Amino acid sequence: MKWIRDGVVLLVALVLQSTVLHRIEIAGARPDLLVAYVVYIAWMRGPVVGTIVGFGVGLIQDLDASVPLGLNALAKSLVGFLVAKAGFRVHRANAGVRFAFFFIAMLVHDVIYYAVATDGDLATFAKQMVLTAVPSALYTGIVVVILLGIVEAFSRKLLLADEV
Amino acid sequence: MLRYLFVRRTDWTVLVIACTLSLSMMLLEARMQARVAWFLQHTLLAPFEYSIGWVDQSVGVFWENHQLRSRLTQLQIESDALQAERIENVRLRRLLHLEERHPYNLVAASVVARSLDRLGGSLTIDKGTADGVEPGRAVLTPDGLVGRAERSTPHETRVLTLLNRDCAVAARIERTRVDGVLEWEFGSQPVLNLRYVSSQEDVKVGDRVVTSGLGGIFPVGIRIGTVARVALDPNGLMKEILVDPAVDFRSVEEILVYTPSDLRGTAPADLFLEEPKPAAPGDSAAADSAAARPATPSSKAIATTQPSGDAAPEKVVR
Repeated sequence: MKWIRDGVVLLVALVLQSTVLHRIEIAGARPDLLVAYVVYIAWMRGPVVGTIVGFGVGLIQDLDASVPLGLNALAKSLVGFLVAKAGFRVHRANAGVRFAFFFIAMLVHDVIYYAVATDGDLATFAKQMVLTAVPSALYTGIVVVILLGIVEAFSRKLLLADEV
Repeated sequence: MLRYLFVRRTDWTVLVIACTLSLSMMLLEARMQARVAWFLQHTLLAPFEYSIGWVDQSVGVFWENHQLRSRLTQLQIESDALQAERIENVRLRRLLHLEERHPYNLVAASVVARSLDRLGGSLTIDKGTADGVEPGRAVLTPDGLVGRAERSTPHETRVLTLLNRDCAVAARIERTRVDGVLEWEFGSQPVLNLRYVSSQEDVKVGDRVVTSGLGGIFPVGIRIGTVARVALDPNGLMKEILVDPAVDFRSVEEILVYTPSDLRGTAPADLFLEEPKPAAPGDSAAADSAAARPATPSSKAIATTQPSGDAAPEKVVR
């Protein structure tokens, strides 16, 4: 059942990312629901599933991207793995912890992504990080924490529950 | 050993495999990457694209139906008036012995999805082969060129924008007729690079860049953008020319697809295109080339190849 739910959430995230999210873009920053999805899955299902899902979601993005094939897959695989490793036994229900995880995961993802995409041009890399990556990470963290809160309030169940 | 890797160190093994696969794909040469991407698109992305099409068609259908009914009535009235004018136009042309101009069709479409990648690079539109939109067709807006259709289904088409590494355009500096190839270049802002322009050529900041038609895909004379920076490349042989695109790819919602004249198409083009210069009665050649640019001394002595079956538009997009 949980796999079906995860699949449906992924499909919704993909559709929203490609159709709606550009409308809420602020100065070039927009939430990245796909990174958020990888973080969520990695956090809940562990490093193996997190890495595999990160690779798969990244590959889907790569098929539609202007950057080298495999870049998104690499960045999201690493993010999935690191989040699962670092997120073990933390207080997942806490909004602050959630925000910190999504924010840092986005930054890690963007460091890998822009490091390769900018071909090692340090000035462009720094500019992208400051102007795009940090605002997008903040935006994603806020949007995802609010979305999780809303869904949990309606379903009366914690989507990101603490380790038992 | 394998048992140790896959049973006791599964997480690290999976990570190493994922990273190795990703890096291997990144190290493939561009042509091979495109082949792998094409193969995976037809396996991995097919369900997703089907879902987007389904959502797009289902969710808005009732509201759209209501709007279309009222629009239909209005258009029917306009259509009757246009039909009468068209017949009159044909009659007057015959009277003046003017040759039939090559008709061009532009199919209007809406953007229903955007690239999942943060740098963009592609759009999905709601028109496909059923509407005459086929792969390779030029896609534009009233502001200028957007890109080209890459892959079409009966009711959807994926469009590669100019901000995609696979969408190079044969372009020309409008003022001096200098030809080059326009390609996307990664940067903090979406920037296009006009390559293969000799250091001897006359190019200035602010020059307008238009399609040259040499690639055989894009009609001649469509605006692409303006020159933002001109410099010499490190070896001093070529110019480095950065071009600001005329189209804001992030906000584009309605686009037009250039289709062959024998296919179905609406005529929204007339809303966006310049009127042809009036021709003297009996001067059919003048009428045919009403919007063609006069050759200048600095024109490149290269024969312009037009897309086969796609006559170049006689009017120039503003």
